[in-house]
Amino acid sequence: MNKNYLFLTILMLLLAVGTFFIPKKQLVKHERSPEKLLMDITQPSRYVTTDQVAKMIIEQDPTLELIDVRPADEYNKFTLPDAVNVPLKDILTPESQDNLGIEDMNAVFFSNDDIMADQAWVISRRMGYKNIYVMKGGLNCWIETIINPVEPPETAPETAFETYHFRKAAGIYFTGGNTVQTGDTGTKKAKVKVRRKKKEKAASGGC
Amino acid sequence: MGPLIPNEIITGDWNFVIAILIGIAFGFLLEASGFSSSRNLAGVFYGYNFVVLRVFFTAVIVAMAGLLYFDYFGWLDLSKIFILPTFLSPMILGAVIMGIGFVMGGFCPGTSFTAIAIGKMDAVFFVIGLFIGIFIFGESFPLFKDFFNSGSMGNVTLTDVTGIAAPWFAFGFTVVALAAFWVTAEIEKKVRKNTKEYKF
Amino acid sequence: MKKHKNNNGRPHYLNPYFGGVLLGLLVVITFYITGRGLGASGAVKSTVVTAVETFAPQHAENSPYYSKYIPEDKSPMNNWLVFESFGILIGGLLSGVIYGRIKKFRIEHGKHTTSSKRLIFAVLGGALFGFGSQFGRGCTSGAALVGSASFSFGGVIVMLGIFGTGYAVAWFFRKLWI
Repeated sequence: MNKNYLFLTILMLLLAVGTFFIPKKQLVKHERSPEKLLMDITQPSRYVTTDQVAKMIIEQDPTLELIDVRPADEYNKFTLPDAVNVPLKDILTPESQDNLGIEDMNAVFFSNDDIMADQAWVISRRMGYKNIYVMKGGLNCWIETIINPVEPPETAPETAFETYHFRKAAGIYFTGGNTVQTGDTGTKKAKVKVRRKKKEKAASGGC
Repeated sequence: MGPLIPNEIITGDWNFVIAILIGIAFGFLLEASGFSSSRNLAGVFYGYNFVVLRVFFTAVIVAMAGLLYFDYFGWLDLSKIFILPTFLSPMILGAVIMGIGFVMGGFCPGTSFTAIAIGKMDAVFFVIGLFIGIFIFGESFPLFKDFFNSGSMGNVTLTDVTGIAAPWFAFGFTVVALAAFWVTAEIEKKVRKNTKEYKF
Repeated sequence: MKKHKNNNGRPHYLNPYFGGVLLGLLVVITFYITGRGLGASGAVKSTVVTAVETFAPQHAENSPYYSKYIPEDKSPMNNWLVFESFGILIGGLLSGVIYGRIKKFRIEHGKHTTSSKRLIFAVLGGALFGFGSQFGRGCTSGAALVGSASFSFGGVIVMLGIFGTGYAVAWFFRKLWI
């Protein structure tokens, strides 16, 4: 009897000690491995132009989700219509994460230029989120192209004029008819409809 | 990937069938281990029969290690299981009252069911007492409603409260349990020298 | 059908460690399938709620405690724990049949006490246990066993509380058992 119990005691101790050596899961299932991430970074397909964004806003594309990654005070001063504010420094919090990975939505990061937006994109891509984009040139480019488009010279091709007319019309749409010098368009700070991820529910139980 | 029903791998319609099956297994194990006898159960407090300690503690350490290994093998998502919520002061009070009730009544609810199944009248009276106790609680609830809800810490785990990782608790409980098994075997030997009956 | 009466008249039980291992595995499997653990006191609570609702529905609806457990469209008995507890009865019966422990109704009590005393204390003990189990959000099965196994802080507190108190007061009730 005693020898058996001794054996069982040691076995149980080994099992308990074994739990220490269970490795922490390195890669959460959906994370993007570093190698793949580097490949993604070199692709230009993550960029969307300010023209594309303007078009989506004007057409009220329901899949568009604009994410302003600048600090909150800048967001409050001026931002794109219906943009959500996820400051870059807070991007890893669960609340911020709720804005990513929503089914069928295309998230477009933007900042003043595109440096912060790019960083947000890389971080999010590493976590495995798909359907994420960066607005090339950021808000500075937005001002230059949409709000204050430059009239192309007479020798420019037809398409340049088309783009210019589109931009002028878009500019009027966004500013209500006044061309603006500074970034302070006083644009309607539209009520932001925030769609968040459905929270997965844990089991309930009791005594 | 478990848990199966919350992850909808098995539909919720099976819930009650599974409940009965699990209950049958539970009841069988309890009765087969001798928990259907109040004298066996009370033995843990008097040193003549430590079956409660052996079964209970073994189950806890096996389950602790089991949950951790199931999580490691990817069979069970530990973040999705129900963790009993902690209400510090009410739970302490409840546990103290239950402890007294245990020694007086010689049963706990689960074991009393198995004892009824094999014909123990004292278990029937114990369950009658359970009804009365819960009824009295329900009726007098407004008196201590605030206390009942006090001390809420949420569904916290030992790790959440102490910052110590789970394997330490699994290991710690295992060491204490194993030591207790050996020590109580000695205690039982001594106590049983003077008693003729110790297994009921 | 094993009837080990030749075991010095002592009933035959599973090796406790074996039973414990099986029970621990059962807890893990229960979590694996349902995401929750097993329990027992909850079923008695559901029965009390149902009884109060049947005989005094207004009172049940108005009560801050009972009303929480009265679902909109079904009976409070339509509840996982109730079914599981019913299974406990069946499992106990099964084991009793296999090991030959089903006999006519009997009252178990210590050598130095009487049947009637035992019954009185059974009811009192049950009442205390029932009362306490509501504060504890469970009993030894649901809170102590399953709670501790799942590393719940509350579960460990309840486990230590029940057994610690038991040891503390055991001496006062020794006449019931030894």
